[in-house]
Amino acid sequence: MTQTAAAMTAEHLSKTYIRRTRGRGILGLTGREAVQVKALQDVSFRMEAGEIVGLIGPNGAGKSTMVKLLTGILTPTGGSCTVDGLIPWKDRRAHVRRLGTVFGQRTQLWWDVPIRDSYALLRDIYALREDRWRRRLGELTDALDLGELLDAPLRQLSLGQRMRAELCGSLLHEPAWLFLDEPTIGLDAVSKLKLRDVLREENRTRGTGILLTTHDMDDMLALCRRVMVLGHGRLLYDGGLQELLQRYDREHTLRCVFSGTPRFGSLPQGVALRQEEGAWLLTFLPGQIPVREVLQLVLAAGELREMTLREMNVDRMIAGMYAEMSL
Amino acid sequence: MRKRLKPYLSAFRLRALLETQYRAAALGGMATQLFFGIVLCCVYSALFTQGQADVTLAETVSYVWLQQMLFRALMASEGELMEQILDGSIAYTLLRPVHQHTWWMFRTLAQKLVGVAMRLLPMLLCMPLLPPEMRLSLPESPLAAAQFLLSLGCGFLCVTQINLITMAVSMRTLDNRGISGLINLVMMFLCGNIIPLTLFPPRLQLLMRFQPFAQALDAPIRMYLHAQPPAAFALSLAVQLGWTAALWALSRQMWNTNLRRIVIQGG
Repeated sequence: MTQTAAAMTAEHLSKTYIRRTRGRGILGLTGREAVQVKALQDVSFRMEAGEIVGLIGPNGAGKSTMVKLLTGILTPTGGSCTVDGLIPWKDRRAHVRRLGTVFGQRTQLWWDVPIRDSYALLRDIYALREDRWRRRLGELTDALDLGELLDAPLRQLSLGQRMRAELCGSLLHEPAWLFLDEPTIGLDAVSKLKLRDVLREENRTRGTGILLTTHDMDDMLALCRRVMVLGHGRLLYDGGLQELLQRYDREHTLRCVFSGTPRFGSLPQGVALRQEEGAWLLTFLPGQIPVREVLQLVLAAGELREMTLREMNVDRMIAGMYAEMSL
Repeated sequence: MRKRLKPYLSAFRLRALLETQYRAAALGGMATQLFFGIVLCCVYSALFTQGQADVTLAETVSYVWLQQMLFRALMASEGELMEQILDGSIAYTLLRPVHQHTWWMFRTLAQKLVGVAMRLLPMLLCMPLLPPEMRLSLPESPLAAAQFLLSLGCGFLCVTQINLITMAVSMRTLDNRGISGLINLVMMFLCGNIIPLTLFPPRLQLLMRFQPFAQALDAPIRMYLHAQPPAAFALSLAVQLGWTAALWALSRQMWNTNLRRIVIQGG
């Protein structure tokens, strides 16, 4: 490993799949065509060791393809990528030895054996020293609350327990890089929080670089300062999460509850009003209308009982961003 | 009437269309049946017309039982691997820093050894319940037993390579029914599981003994029945190990090519 190379880089990374269409005729052999599917096009970025980066984009945007290229289970059709100086698909075994991976939709532990046995197998696969493995397993089972589950086979665990077990398995060998593909999908709040805590801690104490694919904006907000947005196989945005939010979530929402029915009169330009579960929602763009005016409007409308400001609606931000980038 | 039948006709049409996708399976099935028909006719005509080779009934009974008891060793039924090949998650095993071919070879070996042991012991216990002429006899001598065990070990190694080749082919066709069905049937036949290889006409014996499938179970069983002189024993082991090495090289090559292909085409 060279000193300058403690990073993950991609340069003009591209992946095109060939898919054959079904032909015509009884045998389906006539008129078969090869269709090129451009899963990833000309993606370049650099991610430093120790960074946490969120990877977002709608389904089919190329997120999984990118993760597969970076983990070395796919070969690019164009461009290149390196992780700490290694070329993933060429130096596969040396590369994956330093990786941890969690795929929300696929298990990487062994289904029918107690998870303790899976961890022992991982110890042998990664050639971990017995005492070091034991200490690490102790740390992780404490942090992830797995102690009582170690003797249960994976198939008996709930989804939340399973994901915690998967994360433990991916961290046992102290990977330099961690790839997480929707790790919190379908989890309850407690499991999500626990998972995020462990990830933050891992990143803080060991400098583990984390690339997190998710649809869950709370994951993003809790963990990532930087995000990359993919759409139609292209890298559309690479930068700060806050900047992204500010760019696409300029709209503020004031949620007001009145005693009695308020009377709003005519609304000024740039303010929209709707009712939701007994409350009135005023949405406006702060740049377009002074906040003072909106407040005056509310106060004049009736007897105000409570008021909250929702300044960040991440789902709307994502939807707005996708719409603007025409995804 | 036509209207009411419509959904079913539609289902018929779709299924018929789907069936045409399995052209290779159909071809394989046809070839298998043709092959079996011809070979079975050959064997029976030899048995009926020439009187059989120098094999006793007791030997044949023992041969049959050993084949049945060791049957599990033949099958390429690493169910998990096939599942992973079919749903594509085999690609995810690439995330582990291990050599794939060796990894699955050891898993297959474990499955065979334990699978055979679990079936063999209860079957041995059942033997006293059978009429005496239908029981498995003991090995001819302690030497025969020792040769049998050693040769059986080599047989396991050899048949594992054949299984790995079957799996490699399944990885390419993404459908194990055609190839596995075909290979498993041919394998059962050529291993002597359907008809003892010792019953084949004498002029076919040489061919039968040296073909790769005979190395799995037929070679060890022959030793169980008759201890071999040192030279013959050494030759037999050499043939087993030679085939094992050749098939290992072939299957490893096929796996490497396949994995590169997975990596290039997409998981």
